[in-house]
Formats: sequence, C-alpha cells, structure tokens
Amino acid sequence: MWAGLCLALVLATPASAAHTRVELKLSANSVRPGQVQSVGFLMTMDPGWHTYWKNSGDSGIPTQIQWNLPPGFSAGPIEWPLPLKLPPASVTTYAYEGTTLLEVPITVASNVASGVYSVSAAVSWLECKDQCIPGSTNFSFDLVVTNEFVPTTQLDLIQSWQSRMPETCSNWLVEASWQTTTNTDQRWLVLHGQYRGPSDTQPRIVDFYPYPGDNYEVETATEVKDGPGSDFTLRKMVTRFQSDWPVRVPGILIEEGIEHGWFLNPQPLGPSALVDDSNQVSSGSIQSVDPANISAPPLRFSPGRMILYAFIGGLILNVMPCVLPVIALKILGFVREGGSDRRHIRLLGLAYVAGVLASFLALASMVVGVKAAGHQAGWGMQFGNPVFVVGLATLVTLVALNLFGVFEVSLGGHAMDAAGALSARRGFAGAFFNGVLATTLATPCTAPFLAPALGFAFAQGSGIIFLAFFSTGVGLALPYFLLSWQPAWVSFLPKPGAWMEKFKIAMGFPMLATVVWLLYIASATYGRGVAWVGCFLVVVSFAAWIFGAFFQRGSKARSLSLGLAFAFLILGYFGILEDALHWRSVPGDKEPAASNINSPLDWKPWSLEAIAQAQASGRPVLVDFTADWCLTCQVNKKTSIEIPSVINEMKLVQGVALVADDTAFPVRITEELQRFGRAGVPLVLVYPGHPGANPLILPEILTPSLVLDALKKATQFGNDLNKSTSAAVQ
Amino acid sequence: MTKIIALASLLSFSLPALALEIGQPAPDFSGTDIHGKTVKLSDFKGKIVVVESYNSDCPFCHNQYASGAVPELQKDLAAKGVVWLLVDSVNPNNPSFRSAGQAQEEWKRLKINATDWIQDPSGAIGHLYSMKTTPDVYVIGKDGVLDYQGAMDDRPKPFGDPRKAHNYVRAAVDALLQGKPVAVTQTKPYGCGVHYAD
Repeated sequence: MWAGLCLALVLATPASAAHTRVELKLSANSVRPGQVQSVGFLMTMDPGWHTYWKNSGDSGIPTQIQWNLPPGFSAGPIEWPLPLKLPPASVTTYAYEGTTLLEVPITVASNVASGVYSVSAAVSWLECKDQCIPGSTNFSFDLVVTNEFVPTTQLDLIQSWQSRMPETCSNWLVEASWQTTTNTDQRWLVLHGQYRGPSDTQPRIVDFYPYPGDNYEVETATEVKDGPGSDFTLRKMVTRFQSDWPVRVPGILIEEGIEHGWFLNPQPLGPSALVDDSNQVSSGSIQSVDPANISAPPLRFSPGRMILYAFIGGLILNVMPCVLPVIALKILGFVREGGSDRRHIRLLGLAYVAGVLASFLALASMVVGVKAAGHQAGWGMQFGNPVFVVGLATLVTLVALNLFGVFEVSLGGHAMDAAGALSARRGFAGAFFNGVLATTLATPCTAPFLAPALGFAFAQGSGIIFLAFFSTGVGLALPYFLLSWQPAWVSFLPKPGAWMEKFKIAMGFPMLATVVWLLYIASATYGRGVAWVGCFLVVVSFAAWIFGAFFQRGSKARSLSLGLAFAFLILGYFGILEDALHWRSVPGDKEPAASNINSPLDWKPWSLEAIAQAQASGRPVLVDFTADWCLTCQVNKKTSIEIPSVINEMKLVQGVALVADDTAFPVRITEELQRFGRAGVPLVLVYPGHPGANPLILPEILTPSLVLDALKKATQFGNDLNKSTSAAVQ
Repeated sequence: MTKIIALASLLSFSLPALALEIGQPAPDFSGTDIHGKTVKLSDFKGKIVVVESYNSDCPFCHNQYASGAVPELQKDLAAKGVVWLLVDSVNPNNPSFRSAGQAQEEWKRLKINATDWIQDPSGAIGHLYSMKTTPDVYVIGKDGVLDYQGAMDDRPKPFGDPRKAHNYVRAAVDALLQGKPVAVTQTKPYGCGVHYAD
C-alpha cells in the first residue's frame, strides 16, 4: 500500500527539470474590463538544451500551459515565436534554444467588475539535450481590473518578442498543390511562391514549418528550388492517418536566417502537379478571394489605375462625413474673400491646394518612415494616438471659438489690424490651414475607390506610396481649386454682408460636433478620464475669451489680461492634462475594448482562431473591422449591420459576429487588413460556415441588402459544399 | 510561364527512397541481443511480431514500464504467441547507453516481459525502420506484412496510468488475431528522439 502510494507520487511529480527556468511577465499592472492582459512565459534553457514548438517535429512534446481562470477571463492560444529546426536529419525537431517567450493573451470580459482576481497557470514542457526530462512550473498570481490600463515595465520585453512571431501579411503569392506518390497515404505538398515585395531586397524562402495536424503529419525534410529571383518552389511529404486529405495545411514560410516567418494557410489543389489559378471569382460588388494567397492584394493594379483610383477616392472624400464640417469653413472662406479680385481668389485656391498636398505628402513621409522602421502602417493611424486626438480636439475647439468671434486670429494686437494688407496674408495662411485641416479630418474616412488603391500602394515601394497620396490630395483639393479658378461660379455665392457674421457663427457648431466626436475617440483610451479633457477644453476656451475680450479688444490692463490668459492655459495643461489625466502615459498598442457591450449581435473579439472555430461548427461569421475614429464604420454599423433584418438573419443562420477593433492600430488587425488589400478600416467580411471557406468581401459603403445577400450566399455556400461532399462519398 | 517553371523545377527534384509502407512486407533485420545471441526478424516467420524502439531513460518509455502497463501487455500478448522485440538504438556515447550487463539488470528491475532486447548501437535497425522516437512501435503480421506503425497509445504524457489510454498495439494485434482488418494502421509516434550515433 505504502509502496504503491510512493510510486504514484513519484510518477505524478516527474524529475524536476534543472535545465529550464520559466519566469512570468505581465504586460499590465491593471487592465480595464474588455481589455487584454498579455501574459508572457520567458523560458531560459541551459546551453545545449531545448524545448519544443507547437509542432515538435519528429520527436518531443510541445510546451503546454493549463489555466485556472475566474469567470469572465479567457485565455487565448499560445503565441509561439519562430522556432529553430534542429538536426539530426533522422530525427528533426522544431524547438527553442537559449530563451523564448510564449505569450498568452488573457481577455477580460467587459462585464467583469473592478477587483483583484487570482489566477494560476501550470506550464509543462519536455526539455532535451542528449536525454529528455519533463518539467513543470506552477504560477499563481493576481490580475487587477480597474478603470485604467497601467502598463508594466515588462510590457516592452513582451512586445519585443512580437518581432519573432510569424507575420500574417507576406510578400509572396503562394500557390499550393498536391502531387501524388505510389503510396496512397502519402502525398507531396508543393508550394510555389512568387515574390511580390519591394525589389530592393531579395529575400530567400528556405523552409515551411507546418502547424501540427490532427490526422496528418508533414515530414520535417524540405526540398527547395529557388528562382527566378526570390520566387521559390518547395515540397514536403505529407502522411495521412486513416482520414481524408486535409483541406488546408497551415504553417509558416521561413525566410533565410529565420528572421522572418510568414503565416500561410494554403489550400492545396490537385492532386496533380498542375496548378489551376482560375478560382478567383468576382460577382457583382462582392468579391471572393482566397486567403491562401496571403501575399498580394486581391485586386492587382497597374500603377496608372491605382493613381486614378486614388484620385477618384480623394474627390469622394469631399462629401464623406468626416470632411463635411471643414466644407463649411471652406465655403465661408470663399464668401469672405468674394469681394477680392479674381487673381486673389485664385491664389487662395492655390494656397488651399498647397495645404492639402503638403499634408498628404507629410502623411506619405510618415507612412514610408514607419514602414522603414519595420512597422505596419495604415490609413488613419495617427487617430490611434490619443495625444494627437487631444491636440486636434483643442485645435478644433479654438477654431469654433474663433468662428463664434470669441477671439481673432491675427498677427497684430487689435482686431482692426486684421484689415487691409494683413488680411491678404491671413487669407493665404487660412486657406493653407483649411487644406491641412481638411486632410487631417479626412483620414478617418476611407472613401470608395480609395481603399483598394491605398491598400495596393501600402504594399509597394516609397515612390508608389508618395504617388498614391499625392493623387488623393489632388482629388480632395480639385473641386475647390476649380471653384476658385472659375469666377462665374464664385459669383453664384451671395454678396458679402451682415449675414456673413451669422453664417460664420453657425459654422462653429459643426466644429463643436467634431470636438464631441474627437472626445468619443479619446474615450477609448482614457475611459471616464475623458471628462478631464473636457475640463481642459473649458479652461482653454476661457483663456481664449480673456485673450480676445481683454487683450485683443480691451484698452486697459492689456498685459495683465495676456498674462492671465497664459496662466489659465498653463494651469489647464499641467493641472488637468498632466496631473489629473496623465494624458501622455497611455497604453501601448493593445487592442482596446470593443465598444459593443449592449449590442444585440453579441460581438466577440476577432481572431483567426475564432473564425476557424465557428466555421468548424458550421456557423457563418460576420467580421466587422472597425475603429472608434472611423465614421464610415459607425454609419455602416447603424444603417446596415445592427438592424432588425440583419440581426434576425444572423440568428436564423446561427451566425457569429466578430469585431476587429483598429482604434489603437494593433499590429495583428492591421496585417489582416493588408491581407485583404486594405490600408484601413472599414472592412466587413462574411465567412461561410464551412471549415476553411473563403470570406465574401463587402464594399466600403454598406446597404442592408448587401449584408443580407452576403449572409444568404454564405449559408448557401455551406449547403452546396455539404451536398457535393456527400455526393462524392456516395 | 510560371507554371512551366514550377513544373520543370519539380521534375528535377530528386526522389528519396520511401520509408516503410503499411501493407508491404517489413524488411528483415539482424542484430545482437543482450545475451550476445544473433537475432533476426525472419527467425519469427509465421508469428505476429511487435518491434518497439526502446530507451527507458526517456520519460515516455519509462512511464510505460514503471507503471507496469507495457509489461502486462507484453505478458498478455506472449500468452497468445506474439513476439515482442525491443530495439535499443542509443549510441554508446550517450548517457542512456546500456551495456549488456546493465541491460540485463534493467530487464529484471523493470519486469520486462518482452521476447528479446536487441542492441543496435550503430542505429542500423533504427534507420532501416525510420524509428524516430522512443517509443515508436511496429506490428508485423504472420504474413510478414507491416500492419501498424506509430505511437504506443493515444496519451502522449510522461506520467500517469497508460492503462487508461487506448493502446494501438493491443488493438492491432487483437484485430490480426481475430482475422479482422486493423482499424488504425498509422499514427504519429510521440516521445523523445532516438539518440542515434550520427
């Protein structure tokens, strides 16, 4: 009896592993409900020892993590850095040597109350050198939920490992096919990749590391044929175990040096050595693409067509909801300057064009810079930066106050000085500034035509990016340039008069509405703290009034007034933004809460796993790539997604609704957008409820019937496929 | 054009020799057992033969024996006339290498009920059968044809009671004895890598 018990104890606690140490790394001291806490397990192996990847290869066992989490907390799958491929050839494994960091995202549900929650994780692994030893470590720790995200000093470490994770967007267009062998249970998986990346680098693909398969195994040996250029053909033997051939064989394309790996989920065609690429279907306004072709955008442009699209997109931007408030400013500008001569109006038009183009070129430089630094770049990315948003909110508030007449914008002291020669200069500066403002506010709107054009451009070299942004700027500026060039059109506008003052004040209100919208965006970062931003704006407004009423228009104690105005500004900045809000210490690029708490569609956070899971259980998936700052997205949601007919249809087909929140510009979502050839939100996808089926891509501007049709199509697709499968079985 | 290039490059791939194949005759091998006797697979013609790649320092192997699960299975199958051969391909420089004397001692200590333990320090048999892990198990029918290759069971853990798992070897041998087709003929073996000399 005792001997048996001892034996059981010894068996239950295997020899302690002396060669691997595991340290716990948390991304945040506290997170808000709905946010993600990243938990990193930093594993350090003694020299010569290794632990295993998710597919251990010929031998070994993947490291496992067992979670014990309170209700409302859910652990995502382990995110594995790129492994090494270890010899010998006869027993090859995918493993880690030295150090590795296994990252697990813990999602806190939006209904979790503030508090301290104890969780535990049991990490178990197999470590091997010339012998193998199983090891395990238990971690018990607290996760803190409050109303703010407080990053730890370990966040940088966890994020630094992101560069070792496989990337979802690649520079290769890959065709996969099966090639038969004499053994009915073995086939070659053939991957043929064409390089589509920048031509100044010539990367080389050396291997494909397959993910583990339930009923098949991809052998570790790889045969690679290079060329031409960076193109490649590689093949690996696949053995099936008493089952059908897998529909998809996911894995990672490995670049020489293992610096980069590209996630690939190919759907091999065949079996034959011939590759059929005629499966790109386009019907009406809904396109179907194969995500297996992860590299190139689904729409391939000639640069000429891309520039045309960018131009048309820029034109359409003029009437998008984000730009409309600025239109009011521009109209006013033309009316006010209407009395001037024709040449003057033309010059104002040119100044406006210059403002728009300069802003677009600045944006293009930023994108090229960010790309050069090795990061993902996207349209509207600056709205993910709350400091930028607060700065813009302050600026737009001042514009509104200026329109209300609270103060004047002039270089001299008195409002009267603004007349005469100075007014001309102010006019040019104002027109230029209007151009800058129009561009800044235009970025959260992606107009039709603009999305595919910029999506294409973002994947290209710097020259194409500049060209695309320049064309968009020309499109945005053109209508007002034409208006300024045609005196006949200007004469349609009413004569200047007393009405202008009233019109000017009326146009201040769209500006205030813009401020409300900017505060809403900032609330994604600050939560209730956004009220402090409001307080700051009130103080700034008060200071502007003192400045306008007592410095600009007053006659006594003018310097005292100026000092008082500055004192309020400084007090507001340091007392409120710095001290009360800590406005610059904002969380990193973690995904913020999906703002869909009370939605009837039961939105869940987007992930590729969630899609696969829903498809595996036969449920179609609707994915909404959105951002708080994206007005087009909000309009789409209100008019075409969260409406009774779509909600009913979703219930009927048991659809799963996933939201991918690009507000804070998280890398994974940006990469996924690029995979579908988009430079930014909006993007709405409908996946059929069949494992591995490709999504339908909906246009940027939605209508209810577009969404309903897509859902019906997705359901029919599943049925058709089931029918054909069962027919094949018979 | 790219298709032609792809096709052309595929045709120039070298075709490697394929490993063992289910339903094909298992290749004969010859080795020295821990008593110095020469043993050949063909010695057991007409019998069902189980071949297991073995290294009890590997926690997965060790658990199968220390828990008593595999010795029991070996005893059950021996009573039905089934031969069970251990193949030890650990190279002599590895700490897990066993001399004949050490192996005899281990045989007693772990209560091994196999038919024989073949020493394969050169890895010749291991490579011939493409053994990758310990354990990695092969079931050969009375007709000398390979009927099963892969894992011992469906529970890839180095601790706990393996009797609670589905044992693929027992299932394959039972099917063969009853004259039925083997349901699961191939699985992915799990465990430590075989510590070959190269």
